[in-house]
Amino acid sequence: MSPVLAIARRELRSSFNSPVAYGVIISFLLFTAVSLFFLSAFFTMNVADLRQYFDLMLKAFAFVIPAITMRAWAEERRTGTYELLLTLPFTEAELVLGKFLAAFALALVAILLTIPVPLAISLLGSFDPGVLVAQYLGVILAAGAAVALGQWVSSLAKNQISAFLGAAFAMIFLVFINALANFLQFGGVLAAILNWLSLAFHYEAFSRGVADSRDLAYFIAFGVLFLYLSTWNLTRRKWS
Amino acid sequence: MIEARELRKSYGEREAVHGVSFVAETGSVLGLLGPNGAGKTTIMKVLTGYHYPSSGTALIDGMDIVEDPLAVKRRVGYLPESVPLYQDLSAAEYLDFAADSRGLEGAGRRAAIERSVESCGLGPVYRRPVEELSKGYRQRLGLAQAILHDPPILILDEPTTGLDPNQIIEIRALIRELGREKTVILSTHILQEVEAVCSRVIILNEGSIAAQGRPEEIGETLKGEERARVRLKAAGEGDRLDARRLEALFARLPSLRSASELREDQLCGVFSAELVFSPSSQEPGELLFDWAVANELKLLELERRRLSLEEIFVKLTSEGGAK
Repeated sequence: MSPVLAIARRELRSSFNSPVAYGVIISFLLFTAVSLFFLSAFFTMNVADLRQYFDLMLKAFAFVIPAITMRAWAEERRTGTYELLLTLPFTEAELVLGKFLAAFALALVAILLTIPVPLAISLLGSFDPGVLVAQYLGVILAAGAAVALGQWVSSLAKNQISAFLGAAFAMIFLVFINALANFLQFGGVLAAILNWLSLAFHYEAFSRGVADSRDLAYFIAFGVLFLYLSTWNLTRRKWS
Repeated sequence: MIEARELRKSYGEREAVHGVSFVAETGSVLGLLGPNGAGKTTIMKVLTGYHYPSSGTALIDGMDIVEDPLAVKRRVGYLPESVPLYQDLSAAEYLDFAADSRGLEGAGRRAAIERSVESCGLGPVYRRPVEELSKGYRQRLGLAQAILHDPPILILDEPTTGLDPNQIIEIRALIRELGREKTVILSTHILQEVEAVCSRVIILNEGSIAAQGRPEEIGETLKGEERARVRLKAAGEGDRLDARRLEALFARLPSLRSASELREDQLCGVFSAELVFSPSSQEPGELLFDWAVANELKLLELERRRLSLEEIFVKLTSEGGAK
C-alpha cells in the first residue's frame, strides 16, 4: 500500500470509528435540505432550478469542512501521535496528501449523499444533466479547496477548537467577501481583488451550470497552495 | 550502528544538547541516563528524524539523518516517551496501520504482527479499542509498533514506564534479547534498569555527557569513591598514637585516595578518620585490616560508607561536572 493511502486509510478508520464522520455528514445533509425546502421559497418559485441548493452547500462548507479538518494536525499533536507520524517513513508531502485525501473523501461522501435530492426533484420538472454535472463539479472543487485550507489552519493551531474557529472564519471570509464587496459597492481594483480571492465568486459560474477553466484553475491552485503551505509548516517545525 | 558526532540541538535561544558524541554498536544496548531535562529525549528525537540537529550529525548504519531521513526511518523502530496511540482504533487496527506504514504485505505482514503481538503479550487485548487498554498494555502496544518491522535500530524512550514489576521483568528480558542482534538505545531514569539491561551507558546532565562507558566501568569509577569511617589506636602496650604518625601511616595504606576529619577522641590516643578509597580489587576492609596489623595498629571500629547508585547519580548530575 502506498504511503498516502496508508495514512488516508488510518484517518478514515478513525473518523468512522467515532461519531465525528456521521455527525458531520448528517449535519451537512440536514442543513442543506432543511434550508432548501423549509427556509427558502423553493416550491413557491415553481422553477426546477437547483442553483440555490448548491449555493447552500458552499455556505454549509464554512462550518462542515472545518469540523472535518480540525482534527487533522491539532489532534495529532495533542495525543502525541504527531511524533509517531513524523518518525514513520513518510515524507511531509505524503503525510499532508494522505490527510487531505481522507478529509476530501469524507466531504465527497457527504456531497454524494445529496444526489437523492436532485433525483427526487427531477420528478417535478426536467433538469439539464450537463448543468447538474457542472454544479457537482463545482461543489467538489470547492470542497477540495476548503479541505486544503482547513488542514493548513489545523497545522498551525494548538488545539481542535482554534483549528475549527480559524478555518471557519477563513471560510466565512472567502465565501462572503464578494457579497460584502457588492453590498458596500466597492469598485475598481479593490472589488476585482476581493472577487478574485472569493471562493463564492469562482463558484458562481459552476452553480449556474457553467464550467469555466479559469475558475477550475483557481480552485486547483488554491488547493495546491494550501497543501504546499501545510507541507512547509511540517518541515519548518523539524528545524525549530 | 549509531554514531553521533558533536550533536547540538537548540529550541529557540535554549540549547538542549551541547555537542554530544557517542557510538552505539550493533548488538548492544546503550542506556541514556539522566535527570529530567538532561537532553535524553531530545537526542532521541534527533536520531529518529523528528527534529533536525542545529549542528553536528548522526549516522544510522552509515546513513545521515538529515541527508537520508527516509532510509533512516525505515531502519529505526521508535517508542516515544508519551506512547503515541490512536484512541479511536483497536489494537489490531493500530498495528495494521503500523504495518501499512512499513510497507509490510502478505505472509510477512501477518508473521510480523503475530510475532510482535506475542513478544509484547498483547494477545488478550488484540481486538480491544485502545481507549479501553490499561497503561501497561498501552506501553506494550507502543513497543509492539516499534518492533513490528524487525528494525536493526531500536530507540526506546523510557520503555518500562507504567508497567507492573512482572511486566518490567518481561520487557527488560525482551530488550536484552533484541539487543543481542540490534542496536538498541533506551532512555531511563531508573538506575536498576541500566544495570539490568544496558551494555553501555551514557550519563547526561544539562545536555552534555557527564560519563560514559560500560555500566561496570562507570560503576567502578564512581563506586570507587568507597568510603570508610575508622577508629584506631596503637597496638603496643604504652605506645601512644599521634596525628603526625597516623598521617604518615595513611600514606602507606594501599588504594587510599584521601583521609579527612582526622580527630583524636578525648586526647587518649584513639583517632577517628574518614577514608576514601580508589577502585581496587581488594575490599577496603581487608586492606585496612592488613595495613593496621603491619603497622602495629588496632582497628577499633570500621564503618563502611558506600555510595548507593542513586547517590552516585545525584552526585554526578548535580555537580554539573561534565567530562
